[in-house]
Amino acid sequence: MTTARNVEAASAARRELSVPPRWSWLLRRREILVTAVIVIVVAGSTAAHPYFWASTNLAFIFADSVVIAFLALGESFVMIGRGIDLSVGAIMGLSAIFVGFRIQNDGMTLLPAVLLGAGVGIVLGLGNAILVGVIRLPPIIATLGTLSVYSGLEFVITNGNQVDTIPNSFTNLGSDTVVPGVPIILLLTLPFVLIAAWVLRYTAFGRSIYAVGDDAEAAYRAGISVQRVLFSTYVISGLFAGLGGVAYLIYTSGADSTTGINDNLTAIAAAIIGGTALTGGVGGAFGALVGSVFLTVTLTAMSFAHVSDVWQPAGVGVLVLLAVVYDSRARAAGGGRLGARRQRRRQLRRRAGSTGQPTGATGQSAGSTGQPTGATGQPAGGGAS
Amino acid sequence: MTPTTTITTGTTLELPRRWRVPGWGACLLVAIIAECAYFTLTTRQFAGGGEGMLNLTEQFAPTGILALGLAMVILTGNIDLSCAANASLAAVIAGTVLSKGGSPAVAILAAVAVATFVGLFNGVIVAFVGIDSLLVTLATQFIITSVATSVAGASPPFGFPSSFTLLGQSGIDYIPIALLIFLVIALAVIVTIGYTGLGRSLTLIGYNPRAARYSGIAIRRSLTSVFTLCGALSGVAGVLLAAYYNSAQPDIGTDLLLPGITAVILGGMDIFGGRGRIGEVVLAVFVLGYMSQGMLIEGDSSLSITMITGLVLIGALVVKFAFERNFRQRMSARMLRLRTPWNRTPLPRDADG
Repeated sequence: MTTARNVEAASAARRELSVPPRWSWLLRRREILVTAVIVIVVAGSTAAHPYFWASTNLAFIFADSVVIAFLALGESFVMIGRGIDLSVGAIMGLSAIFVGFRIQNDGMTLLPAVLLGAGVGIVLGLGNAILVGVIRLPPIIATLGTLSVYSGLEFVITNGNQVDTIPNSFTNLGSDTVVPGVPIILLLTLPFVLIAAWVLRYTAFGRSIYAVGDDAEAAYRAGISVQRVLFSTYVISGLFAGLGGVAYLIYTSGADSTTGINDNLTAIAAAIIGGTALTGGVGGAFGALVGSVFLTVTLTAMSFAHVSDVWQPAGVGVLVLLAVVYDSRARAAGGGRLGARRQRRRQLRRRAGSTGQPTGATGQSAGSTGQPTGATGQPAGGGAS
Repeated sequence: MTPTTTITTGTTLELPRRWRVPGWGACLLVAIIAECAYFTLTTRQFAGGGEGMLNLTEQFAPTGILALGLAMVILTGNIDLSCAANASLAAVIAGTVLSKGGSPAVAILAAVAVATFVGLFNGVIVAFVGIDSLLVTLATQFIITSVATSVAGASPPFGFPSSFTLLGQSGIDYIPIALLIFLVIALAVIVTIGYTGLGRSLTLIGYNPRAARYSGIAIRRSLTSVFTLCGALSGVAGVLLAAYYNSAQPDIGTDLLLPGITAVILGGMDIFGGRGRIGEVVLAVFVLGYMSQGMLIEGDSSLSITMITGLVLIGALVVKFAFERNFRQRMSARMLRLRTPWNRTPLPRDADG
């Protein structure tokens, strides 16, 4: 009989949650929506300034966005798992410095450079991973700490020197185009995006990141090793940030002690615009790429429209606000922590008269004490609304 | 049939007291003393006959004021990433008013008013639109930076009248005015958080937003006021910065964000809200401030100090969390045993039959 009640409740729930218009999935896929806006912005700017469509300008935009895209890709992994990594910019800077000096002094070629960059990224990512995944510090503080450490390390390692002679064999990757407007570096980046998308969408590991981000306790009860998944997301984030360092060298042909220190928030902004939510459980690899391209295109369009460079950060800020306001998922009810979606789920669960009582005694949630499972079985939080 | 379990209701279940590292404040105090002793012994200039040590506080009083505002926001489980940019904006506004010939009082009022308004804006969006504060303040941080740079223009104002700069540079009987302002504000915040209704509701909101809502606390109003207060304190910090440096660069306060958050966290404030004491945050401000000033005097660069600050933050947290986790694990294991007797007596296999 409980089963019958559950089925009834579930079908009622499905009726309530059903999605109306047929075309609306287009707007729901954030990647497609953002791509459409990119096309509009590019079309508008080209109409006003024909040079915007020039091959060199487009190549410049893409090469610039590739750097942010790498950071945003790693950040997406972390954010889908409901974490945050504030140190990606500093990792990118350190990787750029390490690799840059080797290229400059030892004449390193591209493939070893990429491998070295990835290695540096992984090692630095491990630092975050241990702090969050093993010692279980809150990610925002842990990565804030490593941000300080890594950006200080950049300064200590460079010791006042800077990387400024990157051979043309590298920098040409950012300026030479295959098809007009598409630099080689974009083509080199696409495989990474595809692999990331495949991992996130089709592997058990990828799915478990979503599960952990959506509801860590549910994931834990489903047998996912939550800490191990979190651990790997931070390593992956470091890996992509390390690759981003190599991309940075190719794009700017130099690096110094302050490289990347301000790019952390831009990377998060790009990921958010691409549809990844800070509340975890949603997002994707293509979103990160599209979000980065969108940011760069819009900022370039702004400078084409003779908006002073001073207002570029404001542009990023407004875009983030718009992206978040548009995304009702990120909105919490009543200003609290509980997302609207989560509350909805709770309502449904209550209505369905759940049989298994949540015991609420996981290691982390000392805050959710209460509701001793009495015979009445009503969750204590089940008041109004 | 589903197996039902009843619990003997006769057991008095003693709820765990919120536990902290014993005397975290005492640890911080010892750290301050140790630091001061160390730097006094190693560098001649540090103590300066006691007066020098007091003068050093001028340099980190703005950070401390910023940290106090942040501490209140973090107590509610939110965060304000825009406060440092807000301080820069306030400094620029004050500088611009002064360079246009306004009196210091007008300049200070204008600066604090603008910063308060920015805080109000943050608060309204967080509380009434309901977006995560991390995102909102991330966005406003970018926007404020642009506004500050634009207001400052190509040549940021500098060279203010001495009636303004004495705020940041002089003192009453060796005690710097900046330190006095910091201590007065600290006292006010301690009283607000510890002894007023607003403080209690902020703590409860951070501890458990649902419970706060169901017990009739005006969450939206409280959140709006805490962000507004944080904005106002950022404004004061910005004014002090402008007075200390006698100029108003649009990035004058940017470097305060990291040490500000570090001070709050080092002061034992729980980043998820609901726990922490303002008094310990004040002590942490001194710990960090004396550490960085001492190292600066010893000749380290500011960036390697950033690195040390980060290491200190991580180290302190690891110690603190190790303590707390041990305790919580023991506690929750006991709670589990108390609440779920089927842990020990396995369910009968055919219970569903």
